Amino acid sequence: MNHEKSGQGMNTQSDCIVDIQGLNKWFGALHVLNDVDLTVASGARVVVCGPSGSGKSTLIRCINGLESYQRGTLCLAGTTLGLNARETAAARRLTGMVFQSFNLFPHLTVLSNCTLALRRVAGKSHREAQDIAMAHLEKVRIPEKAGSYPGQLSGGQQQRVAIARALCLNPRIMLFDEPTSALDPEMIKEVLDVMVALARDGMTMVCVTHEMGFAREVADQVVFMDGGRILDRAPARDFFGASGHPRSRLFLETILKH
Amino acid sequence: MGFDLAFALSSVPTILGAVGTTLCVAFVSCIGAAAIGFFFEMVRRAGGIAGLTVGFVIDFIRSTPVLAWLYFLYFVLPFYGIRLGSMTVGVMGLSLYYSGYLAEVFKAGIDAIPKGQSEAARALSLSRRHAVIYVIAPQMLRNIAAPLGNYFVSILKATPYLAVLAVPEMLGRAFDIASETYRYTEPLVVAGLIFLVLALAISNGVKRLERRLLAVGSR
Repeated sequence: MNHEKSGQGMNTQSDCIVDIQGLNKWFGALHVLNDVDLTVASGARVVVCGPSGSGKSTLIRCINGLESYQRGTLCLAGTTLGLNARETAAARRLTGMVFQSFNLFPHLTVLSNCTLALRRVAGKSHREAQDIAMAHLEKVRIPEKAGSYPGQLSGGQQQRVAIARALCLNPRIMLFDEPTSALDPEMIKEVLDVMVALARDGMTMVCVTHEMGFAREVADQVVFMDGGRILDRAPARDFFGASGHPRSRLFLETILKH
Repeated sequence: MGFDLAFALSSVPTILGAVGTTLCVAFVSCIGAAAIGFFFEMVRRAGGIAGLTVGFVIDFIRSTPVLAWLYFLYFVLPFYGIRLGSMTVGVMGLSLYYSGYLAEVFKAGIDAIPKGQSEAARALSLSRRHAVIYVIAPQMLRNIAAPLGNYFVSILKATPYLAVLAVPEMLGRAFDIASETYRYTEPLVVAGLIFLVLALAISNGVKRLERRLLAVGSR
């Protein structure tokens, strides 16, 4: 019966990678996600912003199954997460995640960081994995560091490696959780440049960030969250224009001021 | 009743003859304790009823004397039809006893790994097993090389307990000589010195290993 259902929805879902309806999540008594609806079409670039504690990181972590949710539905490429363990695992594999604190494996070289999942999850041979990893390291312009350890790299370099590592599994959607927040100002640009290039290549992305320049440049939808709710969503030019929600205007003024 | 150097030297070959037994028992017990301890910690971490039970077992082991374990395994198990050689019982006893302590060491080593590491492993869709093998265990080992080495030395120093089971290890041999000749000083000093050399060698080896582990990936 499930087949029938997903079969019917196929036409509308084929170009929709993420479909979130009425998502609710509590950490104990704290209502971190409050009736969140969000759809992300294939090729869309969504920027999620909002003050800290607004639930934006939790939302993005729900999308790849790092966090569970209590109510509502979260469909990833046509699979509702949490219903069936095997299907959930298969759907999660379509996501690539980049963390604020990079989370590279410190005991492995840059190349091994990238090949680990290719070898153990995708089942590639040693040789194949290395070729794929090198191609992605070149894409983020850091192939010369393949033999280095994460601790020997700058923050910007580490984050670019983290992006390459996530790209290796050939995800259909990339999730960025404040990818530049832990970086020194002079390194933010090199990471954003890689992300802009990725967007130009047509990668679907959901990005939690306060980089409004980046949002203006690549986002086709900006979502503003506060208190676990989505308060405002608009195409980038409207969001930054005069017509936005009063709360998001206030937020924009605060963060653009400094 | 001075120290008779000639007698001491004459006891060396006999005592050294047991070095193999001591090292073998210590080595197998270290491996056993580490394997059981790691298994215990993994089960405890997984939680649930099994986790709680194992947590209690770990506390129980750590709150009882090692001699009680050895006597229990050696003298009580045969009543239930389980008959094991003294060497086997000795290795089992030491492995089980120290597994409780090593589980705590492993716990500290894993707790010290930033949460983002296992999250990154999950985000890359690594299975739990693969995450442990390739991400968690190597970093844990780096965190705990020093205390792990200390416990290996402790296990070596606990091997004389097996004398009560008539396992022919070094201190037992020294005592055999002493009770035959009524001279205690020389054989005990010789056995003590050999233990000292072995313990120093192990802790030195662990220090080198630790330095190598820390060198990997350092800035």
